[in-house]
Amino acid sequence: MKSKWWAPYAFLAIPLTVYTVWVIVPIFRTMILSFTDWDGLSASYNFIGLRNFLALFHDRVFLTSLINNVKWLVGFSLVAVPAGLGLAMLFNRQLRGASVFKTMIFLPMTLSFVVIGQMWSWILEPRQGILNMVLRALGLGAIAKPWLSDPAIVTYALIGVALWRQISYSMILFLAGLKNVSPALVEAAYVDGAGAWQRFWYLVLPLLRPATIIAVTVNIIDSLRAFDIIYVMTRGGPFYSSSVMANYMYIEAFNNYRMGYGSAIAVIQFIITFGFIAVYIIHSLRGEEK
Amino acid sequence: MRKVTLVVLGIVLLLGFAGLAKQTIVLNSYMSDPAPKAALEQLVQNFEAANPDYSVVVNTFAHEDFKTLLRTWLPMEKAPDVVTWFAGERMRYFASQGLLEPLSTVFGEDGFTSYFPSSFKSSCEYGGETYFLPQSWYWWGVYYRKSIFQSLGIQVPVTWAQFLNACDKIKSASYIPITIGTKYLWTAAGWFDYLDLRVNGFSFHMDLTAGKIPYTDPRVKKVFEYWGQLVAKDYFIKDHAAYSWQEAANYLFTGKAAMYLMGQFIFDAAPEAVKSDLGFFRVPVIDGSLGLYEETPIDGFMIPANATNKDGAKLFLKYIASKEAQESFAVQLGRLAANKDVAPPDVQAQQGLDMILASDGVSQFYDRDTNPEMATAGMNGFVEFMMYPDRLDSILQQLENKRLEIFGK
Amino acid sequence: MKKRRLFYLLWIPLALLWISPLLISILTALKSLDDLLLAPAWSLPSYWHIGNFATAWTIGHLGRYILNSFVIAGPAVVGTLLLSSLSAFALSYYRFKAAGLILMIFVGGMLLPFQMLMIPVYRFSISLGIYNTYLGVVLFHVSFQLGFCTFFLRSFMKTLPRSLFEAAKVDGASDVLLYARIALPLIRPALAALSILEFTWIWNDYLWALVLIQSDKIKPVTLGLTVLQGEYIAQWNVIAAGALLAAIPPVVVFLVFQRHFIDGLTMGALKG
Repeated sequence: MKSKWWAPYAFLAIPLTVYTVWVIVPIFRTMILSFTDWDGLSASYNFIGLRNFLALFHDRVFLTSLINNVKWLVGFSLVAVPAGLGLAMLFNRQLRGASVFKTMIFLPMTLSFVVIGQMWSWILEPRQGILNMVLRALGLGAIAKPWLSDPAIVTYALIGVALWRQISYSMILFLAGLKNVSPALVEAAYVDGAGAWQRFWYLVLPLLRPATIIAVTVNIIDSLRAFDIIYVMTRGGPFYSSSVMANYMYIEAFNNYRMGYGSAIAVIQFIITFGFIAVYIIHSLRGEEK
Repeated sequence: MRKVTLVVLGIVLLLGFAGLAKQTIVLNSYMSDPAPKAALEQLVQNFEAANPDYSVVVNTFAHEDFKTLLRTWLPMEKAPDVVTWFAGERMRYFASQGLLEPLSTVFGEDGFTSYFPSSFKSSCEYGGETYFLPQSWYWWGVYYRKSIFQSLGIQVPVTWAQFLNACDKIKSASYIPITIGTKYLWTAAGWFDYLDLRVNGFSFHMDLTAGKIPYTDPRVKKVFEYWGQLVAKDYFIKDHAAYSWQEAANYLFTGKAAMYLMGQFIFDAAPEAVKSDLGFFRVPVIDGSLGLYEETPIDGFMIPANATNKDGAKLFLKYIASKEAQESFAVQLGRLAANKDVAPPDVQAQQGLDMILASDGVSQFYDRDTNPEMATAGMNGFVEFMMYPDRLDSILQQLENKRLEIFGK
Repeated sequence: MKKRRLFYLLWIPLALLWISPLLISILTALKSLDDLLLAPAWSLPSYWHIGNFATAWTIGHLGRYILNSFVIAGPAVVGTLLLSSLSAFALSYYRFKAAGLILMIFVGGMLLPFQMLMIPVYRFSISLGIYNTYLGVVLFHVSFQLGFCTFFLRSFMKTLPRSLFEAAKVDGASDVLLYARIALPLIRPALAALSILEFTWIWNDYLWALVLIQSDKIKPVTLGLTVLQGEYIAQWNVIAAGALLAAIPPVVVFLVFQRHFIDGLTMGALKG
């Protein structure tokens, strides 16, 4: 009894419709808005072609945001992914209290980001914040910087805070992947004389490929979409030095009554993210075929 | 889908009609602090008791969110009936878009000025029509620790020279002369506004915020000269951009800092033990030939043009404008009522009122007086100046570019 | 065994360091407002002010908000899982030309910064008449999560051996039966895993509740907490207490489904 040709569409009917109506159509609407000068309030607006996009290239704040997003991308992919992997390898043992550790690592993801942002703001306070107090107590007063008010380092401080949550997330993804690395297989390799590093690189890592793909993809998307930590902790300040695209877009669209301009920023962000993801996925698919 | 929705709506409406003979008035408010929220609830209850045909539904939002959401509510067909808001440009912007309901019928024949001081009128109207109902207002001043002043033998400064002197003495005694938290920018605007009012006067400041004067004008630069004197001598707390206004106030409350240019609500936030030691004085005079001008942000209510129950809304606002309502609110919060028949609730308020009555004019505050986009750019510029004073020229140029972009010539 | 002791010696303090912001939240929740304004964040409270939790519950109406969060998150998770399992099945079992394109559509929707969807979605709910209702928010969450969930479940379903389906087909099973009696039960761990992720994310959602809900009566807990952030003064002690209370349901869900969660994610990872 062969399946009817319309069977897949029958299954897809409701989900795809709902998704198209609520997500895809608004995306297109946003793309259309990026070609207008709408302020989000008036009843009418004008089409101004590519003027928003051209203006973006001269916009100092947008260019700063772009560069910051690249920093976020590097931070997430080069730190969150390996750190998550490292922690997963570490806690993936039959240890008493392993699940306690795992739960503790999961906790950062449960608390509201508004509260998390505030707590970290207090920790990073230049004078009374606990981080600087500890540094000074250890005699490292020289690096007890004003983390959130020095334009040169604020973005790195924010990335640090975000990594706190992102590493948890990545660790959980890798822990899952490691469940598949059969200990027997690893034992066999050990018996065969393979060193720890060789075991990891040639045996474990390839078996982790699917988890790695998910982890890297998620980190790329999240780094380019970063918003809540920045908005809560600095609003993109001091004077735009920690601004990222999502934050700038929000301020332009909702604070400054420039919905059209904000939409243009969102479109650019979308294109950039899509570009990175596409490149990565194609690369890893090709790798798989080897 | 549409038909089903309509039928469902119809049933709901019918049920609504049947179930409640009352009319509903929807009030969206940003008064999320517990004291004002409770005070507002009290007013609502009083209103409902006096007008049993009406029931008021209050929806409360966090302040920042409210600002964002208001812009989404106003243009829609079923806007809320009453909303809290501020006087000044922030209100006028909406009025100019035709999104607000004129309030002339609320005041009846007596008119606006029978309820409120005439100096408030300009902040509440647009194009000759009143769109804003003031409820309460507060003043700004330099709040200081009396004990620090006493121990260092400092008198309350009246002139700029005396002020610099005081700062110097305070700094030598290892206190922080002026604390400020510029993370959310508006505290820096307070300094700009006051220095501008003191250096250039009221009409200049109003013209500047209206976008009529270039930011590169030498008179604007003069403001920063005075400001620069404070910055150069490190009278402001270090790393102020890391603190919210509340976190910076911490230093004032713990006695590490001596002064804070701030609105009256700092008194609400002060711990009981500190309250008796907190006083305030008028921002020192720079140019004696100019009048005395102060900042008095006014809070109140508006009715969206797209509200569903406008009559109910106006009735509610009429109640809010009344002496009893204004008094009740002011007394509970220690604020000043806009209604001129209401006496100040306590000594502090009396002092504030006296200060204002002795002034020649009032402005609303930078981000309430000017276009929102300009406000953001301006405030960012102010904080940048405070951190990097030698960038002044490029900062002013950028602000000027922004001004041209927004206001035209 | 010395190695084990060394392990604990090193990692227990580090783990504590890791959750120090949470410890500070707990400290903050136990302080009075005066303590908050006068002393540094990491200092111990001058007295243990448990009242904040009660304040959050009563004045902060936390009970009502938490109930609302359940009313929203519960159906949303169920709806999402149901619909995404349907589309995942379609995209994994069947071989048809449009499959690749449709998958990309689901993935594409995940990439946009969601703030940008605020206004179009807001206006859309108003025109549909479901603005300011539970239904509106639930419907939106279901739709929005479909992208990731379809992608996720599809990679699991792809790992199921085709032979199982073939055998059932030979026995005369309809496609619906293949979906309901074979695919779904076999990916039960994955469904459990996704439930946790989805529940936590929807529970902690702030933006969409803000945009789509106006009335205090149906607000979820994320919005309810921010109302404690006053116009001038933020009562961080009460907010922290409320946030801790609000974090309990996701943690409970995690603990309960934890075994499935870890096991579940592995299935797809193995052959995905």
